[in-house]
Amino acid sequence: MQSITVTINGEKKEIYFEGGETLLDVLRDNLYLTGTKYGCGQGACGACTVVVNGEAVKSCMVLFRRLEGAEILTIEGLSKNGELHPIQKAFIDADAVHCGFCTPGIIMELYALFTKNPDASEEEIKKALNKHLCRCTGYLPLIEAAKIAQKYYKESIGKEV
Amino acid sequence: MEYKYIGKDAKRPSAVERITGKAIFVDDIRLPGMLYAKILYPKYAHAKILSIDTSEAEKMPGVVKVVTGKNIKHPFGDCLHDRLPMAVDKVRYIGEPVAAVIADTERHARAALSKIKVEYEPLPVYTDALDAMKKDAVLIHEHSEKYFYVTPLYKPTPGTNIAITYEIKKGDVKKGFKEADVVVEDEFNFHHMSSVAIEPHATIALHHLDGTVEIWTANVGPFAVREQVAEFFGKNISDVRVHIPHIGGCFGYKSDPGIEPLVAYIASFVPGRPVKLRLTRKEDFTSTFIGRGIRARVKVGATKDGKLTALEETLYLSTGAYADTGSNILIVAVQTSGGVYYFPNAHVKGYSVYTNTPPVGALRAYGHPEAEFAIERIMDMLARKLDMSPIELRKKNYITDGKTNVVGEKFKKSDGDLFKCTESVLEAIPPKVEVKEDENYLYGVGYAGLIKAPKAATFASKGCHIKFNVDGTVSLNMAGGDVGQGLWTVARQIAAEALKMPPEKIKVYNEIDTQYSPWEWQTVGSMFTFQGGNAIIRAANKAIDALKRNASLVLKRDPDMLEYDGEYVYDRSYPDVKVAVKDICRGYVTEDGTTIGEVVDVTSYFRLPGVQGPDPETGMGRTGGSYTMGFQGCKVKIDKRTGKVYIDHFATSIDVGKVIFPKGAEAQVLGGVLMGIGETLMEEVRFKENGEIANPDLIRYKLPRIEDLPGKQTVKFIETPDAVGPFGARGLGEHPMIGVAPAILNAIYDAIGYDFKEVPVTQDMVKKVLEEKGLTVKDKEE
Repeated sequence: MQSITVTINGEKKEIYFEGGETLLDVLRDNLYLTGTKYGCGQGACGACTVVVNGEAVKSCMVLFRRLEGAEILTIEGLSKNGELHPIQKAFIDADAVHCGFCTPGIIMELYALFTKNPDASEEEIKKALNKHLCRCTGYLPLIEAAKIAQKYYKESIGKEV
Repeated sequence: MEYKYIGKDAKRPSAVERITGKAIFVDDIRLPGMLYAKILYPKYAHAKILSIDTSEAEKMPGVVKVVTGKNIKHPFGDCLHDRLPMAVDKVRYIGEPVAAVIADTERHARAALSKIKVEYEPLPVYTDALDAMKKDAVLIHEHSEKYFYVTPLYKPTPGTNIAITYEIKKGDVKKGFKEADVVVEDEFNFHHMSSVAIEPHATIALHHLDGTVEIWTANVGPFAVREQVAEFFGKNISDVRVHIPHIGGCFGYKSDPGIEPLVAYIASFVPGRPVKLRLTRKEDFTSTFIGRGIRARVKVGATKDGKLTALEETLYLSTGAYADTGSNILIVAVQTSGGVYYFPNAHVKGYSVYTNTPPVGALRAYGHPEAEFAIERIMDMLARKLDMSPIELRKKNYITDGKTNVVGEKFKKSDGDLFKCTESVLEAIPPKVEVKEDENYLYGVGYAGLIKAPKAATFASKGCHIKFNVDGTVSLNMAGGDVGQGLWTVARQIAAEALKMPPEKIKVYNEIDTQYSPWEWQTVGSMFTFQGGNAIIRAANKAIDALKRNASLVLKRDPDMLEYDGEYVYDRSYPDVKVAVKDICRGYVTEDGTTIGEVVDVTSYFRLPGVQGPDPETGMGRTGGSYTMGFQGCKVKIDKRTGKVYIDHFATSIDVGKVIFPKGAEAQVLGGVLMGIGETLMEEVRFKENGEIANPDLIRYKLPRIEDLPGKQTVKFIETPDAVGPFGARGLGEHPMIGVAPAILNAIYDAIGYDFKEVPVTQDMVKKVLEEKGLTVKDKEE
């Protein structure tokens, strides 16, 4: 066993692990943060996307031992004080939550995109979403949700307590 | 008719759980003392197992048990009992479990797998029905005559690799071809694909020490899982309990018992300990159900003015190692072979043939896309030969009021208006392309009709349990799986309409448990809205009747003199004489505490009326019961340099009877069309000669992404109320996929003058044709 210290959803933690685990393995199996999903293990589907140091990463492709000191945000850390995050609200309003399996990864992708660039163009939004597979929606509801999410997110800037 | 809640958009009841990561899927479940299983797969797709040595594996760290198939007493199944949860003395496909290791961790289980030694004697491998049907072919099932089948329809042909044969005979096909001025015949091939839900399969099974079994799994047929597992172990059905948490997409392959009997078998070796098996994406491709895989040889005849006279067709399903689920796919494909067209004479025969691939199972609309691909392609070919517009030829032959399909079912006006569907697609995509070619692209348009019944076993039924709470709210409990199609939303809206109360007062179930949920056959075949919706209406009416009986005791009026409005039951002539629903839903407590009346807690069921099995002689009969029809069209542009096919515009119009949940209905079409584009242009489970799968991952098996979206999509619903459907509604979930492949291939012909007869049509295939036809342009050299 070995350990590193990371900040997960705002809490600093020392985490023990075997050695070869991916970030996804540790999130799901060690920390029981099961909102992050396994879909392919090859970085192709995007279901395991979380935010590490502000960037959207596919957690199935990242070795956990390389993350000493990292700030990790997962879907469980997005809503605060019982309030949904504006991006989450947008997904409900756009009716973009179907089976819900790919959704956490997509929401984390958009979170990383909008926090870095609240004015991301439609092309940039589509490029970010193109990293994700969804079999239910046919994607148009997701694009719609992303546009509403951007609006809600921009409205929320500066209002956070 | 004015409706208050249906036909209006609504919030999905499960959405908040699903966007906060709180929705529990199978792999999110951890039980105390849980063990993990990993599976050993064979080196060969078809081989005898000579020996298995597990002794080294048993000594590995963390290993609790190593399991092989030698304890299996008999095969299991639904219609044809030919399946084994684990190989016994031979392997029949590359993903067939040979052994399993149960260990304290998945890592330990995986490490021990490599220590299991297996000796094989390889046998010839067949991945195509036509090869497996050859006279000298080695038998994949040596003793298929011993298998149990529910009706002779599912009887295998011993001494061959043919699992089932199904035939329909309508009219006199010889006479039909004599009357024909023009005959067209050709062969079409729909390759195998995978459902590829983003959530791979996972199951947990626990054999309790009292002999009962508990299973947690992602499957929309929990009661089928329960029945087949109980039968396999010789247990009472009531002693098997199946939990269904959230399901991360289904698209077919999570609707029949698949990995559940396997995990239940493995877990039986460690009674008292739950065992979890979660498949990797590769295993999800290689060892669960695949779909499609049908060849169709079609011959149609028509008079010179375009009246169809006869259909003769033979279908070959490469059904894979086990034919139980594939049998129904073949039957459905034969029954739907005529598509939306009236053939006075038809002779269609189908073979479901054992091959050495993963078993073919359900995949969105199974049987229909395969068969309708063939008929919709050949209609375009026939139109050319008749020198007639393909639209005109289609409209001349639509099954309309009073006409019959190939199994002899008579259609009624209330089955839908195909002409309106056609018109609305043509409005979006006119049949004439203005510019056929420019510097970079070739352009074309193509169309296809579509039809599908909410196919099911004749006894298939759905149940609804309505429980009134003492504050006047309602708990709604059913067993339909919401796999993303929005079923829970539709159920809530129909219940709101039927119970005359806002959806917010109705709490819809969000998990299924065979111990509490009302029985339902399976959530398959686009049946839920139709059957489940009617079950809700029946239960609501039963509850309202009970409320009126209670109110009649309180108000001293006959029950039929009372009205119900969701909040009160009142005298219809003196509405002031009323009692609140919340005061009578558990009986009525009188002043001194004496309580009168009944508890309003009811369950009702609904099945398709009058659906029958096919006649053993002719194959005919009322096998569909209800149909949804539609029309699809597209405009494509083909890149002259690369051969890439772009869908500029795709239009779908379906007569759904009544739209219940508009956004959900539209998304079913958007998602279905894109899945159809996937199966037409990119998705194929490719087999090597040795039966291995060449692309069992999401890098080599291409699923449509945002970049593959059509430039534009049009979705139009026609609403001709159904005679039986709830508020006139019909099924919709699978239909949007059916006409996509033929519409695109018809459009490709229009653009480049070449008839593709198989799907998928890849970019390389198109490029090759462009080169052969001299249609390519080379970039100018600098």
